Amino acid sequence: MKQEKTPLLRREGSVKLLSSLLSIVIGLVVGGLIVLFVGLGNSEIGADGAGEGLRLIFAGILSTGRDASGALSWGFNPTNVGNMLFRAMPVIMTGLSVAVAFKTGLFNIGAPGQYLMGTMVSLVIALSIDTAAVPAGLVWVLALLGGIAAGALWGCIPGLVKAFLNINEVLACIMTNWIAANVVTWIFDGSAFRNMVENTKSGYIYKTSFNGVATPKLGLDKLFPGSQVNGGILIAILFAVAMYILMNKTTLGFELKACGANRHAARYAGISDKRNIVLSMAIAGALAGAGAALYYLSGNTEFFWTTYQSLPAEGFNGIPVALLALNNPIGVIFAGLFMAMLNIIGLQLTNLTAYNEFITDVIIAIIVYLSAFSLVIRMFLMGRKRKVPPKLGADDAAAPAKIPAENEKGGDDA
Amino acid sequence: MGESEYVIEMLHITKEFPGIRANDDITLQLRRGEIHALLGENGAGKSTLMSVLFGLYQPEAGEIRKNGVKVDIRDPNDATALGIGMVHQHFKLIEVFSVLDNIILGAETTKLGFLQRKEARKKVEAISRKYGLAVDLDAKVEDISVGMQQRVEILKMLYRDNEILIFDEPTAVLTPQEIDELMATMKEFAREGKSILFITHKLNEIMAVADRVSVLRKGRYIGTVNTHDTDKQELSNMMVGRPVQLEVVKAPARPAEEVLQVSHLCVPSHIHKRDAVHDVSFSVRRGEIVCIAGIDGNGQTELVYGITGLGRPSSGSVKLCGEEIARASIRRRGANMSHIPEDRHKHGLVLDFTLEQNMVLQRYLEKRFQRRGFIRPAAIRDYAQGLIAQYDIRSGQGPVTPARSMSGGNQQKAIIAREVDRDKPLIVAVQPTRGLDVGAIESVHSRLVAERDAGKAVLLVSLELEEVMSLSDRILVMYEGEIVGELDPKTTNVQELGLYMAGARRDGKGGAAS
Amino acid sequence: MTFLIQQTLIYGVPLLIVALAGVFAERSGIINLALEGIMVFGAFIGVLFVRIMQTSAGFEALKSAGDWMALQGLELLAMLAAAVCGAIFSLLLSFASINLRADQTIGGTALNLLAPALVLFFIRIIANQNTLQMASGDSASWFMIKKTTLGFDRDADLGFFGNTFLHKVYLATYVCIILFIVLSVILYKTRFGLRLRSCGENPQAANSLGINVQKMRYIGTTISGALAGMGGFVYALTTANCASTGDVAGFGFLAIAVMIFGNWKPLNIAGASLLFGLFKCIAAAYSSIDINGDGVYALANLGISSHFYRLLPYLITLLVLAFTSKSSRAPKAEGIPYDKSMR
Repeated sequence: MKQEKTPLLRREGSVKLLSSLLSIVIGLVVGGLIVLFVGLGNSEIGADGAGEGLRLIFAGILSTGRDASGALSWGFNPTNVGNMLFRAMPVIMTGLSVAVAFKTGLFNIGAPGQYLMGTMVSLVIALSIDTAAVPAGLVWVLALLGGIAAGALWGCIPGLVKAFLNINEVLACIMTNWIAANVVTWIFDGSAFRNMVENTKSGYIYKTSFNGVATPKLGLDKLFPGSQVNGGILIAILFAVAMYILMNKTTLGFELKACGANRHAARYAGISDKRNIVLSMAIAGALAGAGAALYYLSGNTEFFWTTYQSLPAEGFNGIPVALLALNNPIGVIFAGLFMAMLNIIGLQLTNLTAYNEFITDVIIAIIVYLSAFSLVIRMFLMGRKRKVPPKLGADDAAAPAKIPAENEKGGDDA
Repeated sequence: MGESEYVIEMLHITKEFPGIRANDDITLQLRRGEIHALLGENGAGKSTLMSVLFGLYQPEAGEIRKNGVKVDIRDPNDATALGIGMVHQHFKLIEVFSVLDNIILGAETTKLGFLQRKEARKKVEAISRKYGLAVDLDAKVEDISVGMQQRVEILKMLYRDNEILIFDEPTAVLTPQEIDELMATMKEFAREGKSILFITHKLNEIMAVADRVSVLRKGRYIGTVNTHDTDKQELSNMMVGRPVQLEVVKAPARPAEEVLQVSHLCVPSHIHKRDAVHDVSFSVRRGEIVCIAGIDGNGQTELVYGITGLGRPSSGSVKLCGEEIARASIRRRGANMSHIPEDRHKHGLVLDFTLEQNMVLQRYLEKRFQRRGFIRPAAIRDYAQGLIAQYDIRSGQGPVTPARSMSGGNQQKAIIAREVDRDKPLIVAVQPTRGLDVGAIESVHSRLVAERDAGKAVLLVSLELEEVMSLSDRILVMYEGEIVGELDPKTTNVQELGLYMAGARRDGKGGAAS
Repeated sequence: MTFLIQQTLIYGVPLLIVALAGVFAERSGIINLALEGIMVFGAFIGVLFVRIMQTSAGFEALKSAGDWMALQGLELLAMLAAAVCGAIFSLLLSFASINLRADQTIGGTALNLLAPALVLFFIRIIANQNTLQMASGDSASWFMIKKTTLGFDRDADLGFFGNTFLHKVYLATYVCIILFIVLSVILYKTRFGLRLRSCGENPQAANSLGINVQKMRYIGTTISGALAGMGGFVYALTTANCASTGDVAGFGFLAIAVMIFGNWKPLNIAGASLLFGLFKCIAAAYSSIDINGDGVYALANLGISSHFYRLLPYLITLLVLAFTSKSSRAPKAEGIPYDKSMR
């Protein structure tokens, strides 16, 4: 069989990349427009303020603050870049979490809950084992493993109810999120882990560095002085590579993908769909838990424990990361970096202008919205008018058959 | 009325879909009060043409006339306004609605927007009495039989006072006796002056009921003939474009030892509370094709689920090569069983996977395709290429073609290649020729016969009477979840088969009746 | 007991109306996972509306004149504004799902992310904090109907019925209940309702009978958006003191659970939302619930952590879903993009 040559721009991979870039551009432009209109409509901000906001949205990562004259100054800002790498670490992990579940046909909107459970367990381990008796490095490893295990267990719950009771995993995930938020608050309320030493820190858990536990910097702090970055980002990248290999090179990945693409056919082929759904959610939970552990074991991060009314943004941001990366684990690294960059931009906006960081959340939401019909966007990019060659008629089997992705909700034929 | 001889004319209709010209310059003229058959194979473009007439598609070229006047049919409302009604091959019914709601939907009588169900009921009851179309107006559609569902569809047309009635493959789901009733009803409509378009690929029915026949082949118009002036062979040649071998050539079966033994098997239904398969016992031997015949929905699907493991039997035993497998996993059963599934899109293929991935859907764990959990892509590629060559599976990019982009016929070939190459003692084939054209059907049939002659046991489930009669060595008829008869295709005929399928006759064989 | 019933209604009624919002979308074939986000948006619009109107001189005059009708009118207008904007916001979902055949789950999630982001962005700019409140006073003093509002004497005893349903209540609660009944009747007794439901079950059949599936789905989702937006404001008004925080604490998702538990049928949903309202009310006010009126706060005295009561509604939702999922029956075609050329 000879493969037909397709122009570079028409190839699937480049089209996918292009569609993600387009989503990003549209998201930024819409965000920029909101900033512009709000600025122009608000006398306190005005055209100048709007212009500053616009520039920060597109190039905030290169901002170095304001110079003596009060104008925005620009240049390579190692602190910003280092912090971007640092913030990318948890969202790469939650992005991987969402992406792996997506590959198995599951929408893991439960990453926030898994992240919280990972946070709780890794903090408890890191703060309760005395580093005078046990080497800090070992405690660090134990805490990371604990976070992974906690996330995996929490991810199992929606997996189990999906597999055995056919409950929509989205609803189950939402409920486990809120349960996790309450459980974490419950556990920390009245516990000895609350920071009582620093008066200004009421409501926070001790940093793990109080117990001498912290992720090694691996020299990254020299590269990006003044930033929070540490070796955790490298570990997150390693996780991404491992997930790529798992999904694409192993029989387990084959099974998971088969279940995701067609649960019925997987069953027909003798693959246990239930086992794989649970497994997939456990892996997803483990990744989210690992992300939380990496973040809070940094040593310089603090956890605000009264979380029962809010869920961590890192968990939800895994969704746009996975969608932008089109569920490719390697793509998740770059999408995670982009998301962290937006985060830094949000901070710049809050610190330097009358705008605030929520505009970056708007941009993220728009990117997710565009992802919902990314298939249409890709078809548009491929220059095709119609998305689906229609099934000609019930009896016209000679035509290329295409059925919409089957919705699993409701039907249980087990 | 109009001057024209024809009530409906479709002139030079062309309808294209990306990559396919489904209708290419087709002309169809329907006289008032006639039964006009539209004949063609699967994929010939019959349904597309009717969808154009019914306003579901807009043609790229051509025009439609009613009574000689050009009309524009943009959606089904236009069609209804012109008096055109259609019984679709796959019924267009809302399962959770009552029969009455289904009949009035889209043509409701209302007062201030509120439904006037009482008035509607009176009208429907009157029509139903007039034509002897008995239905239970308050039953939900999901609870009534397929035959009654068809009557509901017919009542929908009559409720709208349609004059031009389209029947799209109406007999596929009926017993031979129900088919006779339907034919009588159609003739009654024609006598009253209604005009009928009857879409089918069954020659017997055309000869029995139609006045004229128009034939389509591969989207093209072949011609129109009077039924009186033609015969089945000529129609068949027109339809297929070459002389067709109506019989499957096969040597007498030489059955050997039993491979599959099913005894007292019960399988629960996931729709109803009672068992879909009730106390079924039979066996299949090496070197024979045993066919399960019956009207769709009489438990065949569930029986296959029970044997292959897609469903869980509630009681009874299934022995495969001497091993009890009624509770075994699908993978365990697969050790001695190939399964060509009923629904190739739901079960047979992972449409988003490539062809080569689909070829190893069950075998990826074998030593030759993986090492320590890591897949060996080169081995899979080689294997898939071998099967593609051997079974003549055509696709755009060979092994890396997404299964979704392949044609239905080639998808089915791929499944059959995969299942046959697994080389297991038992082959379970469920409607293996559904939706295929004649050439593909012939090749599937000869492949199954070859496997039989190679000493495999073949369990075939088919809804097509001709296939049942020509391919099988033994016929088991299923009715309402039980096996009601065992027949020998050499000594039985379609009429007798039909009586069993309709539940009008049953015997003690097959273990069903005690 | 009076307190318990009133509190149950206060939590149950928004659930009721938002669950019905879910019904209208899903019965037309669109999964509206964005109920949560639309509620957030509706709450913001309603509160903003009240805030703006409060600053207008006319209303201040009416308020000081004690014209309670004007205040109730303001409440109704705010509900209307929230409904209109909720409907407009939901068009984002309709457009993506109906015209672009989007994945409805992801589309809904996008709206759920978008609403709080937008709302918080504007709240921060308007109020320079993360909460938007009324310009003056609180909802209890402005909008709550009391004995005195209705012209009764402060000490008048209205009996159990009167005390429960006429004193310390909100007009919005009753408006929602009436709307719920009217819309339920429309869904089952009218041509529109019959056609809408047919689109969620078998759009191909509906289309073959001349029903414009895309139009019906737009209508269904828009009604859904309006109800959810209104429900969001009612939630903010009656439980959050008429403040908008970019959050409704998973209430929209609870409404979806109520809808599933109620098997997409209004009557069952009415029962389910009262049940869930009760749990929510226990979670929020367990320490001041005096069931039999003997002055003993039984639940508070049990010694169970307040955190447990807070997570109770979510836990119960999960359990209820677990036990009812087998028998629940979703509209057959929901979530599947409709393509005319697919038959």
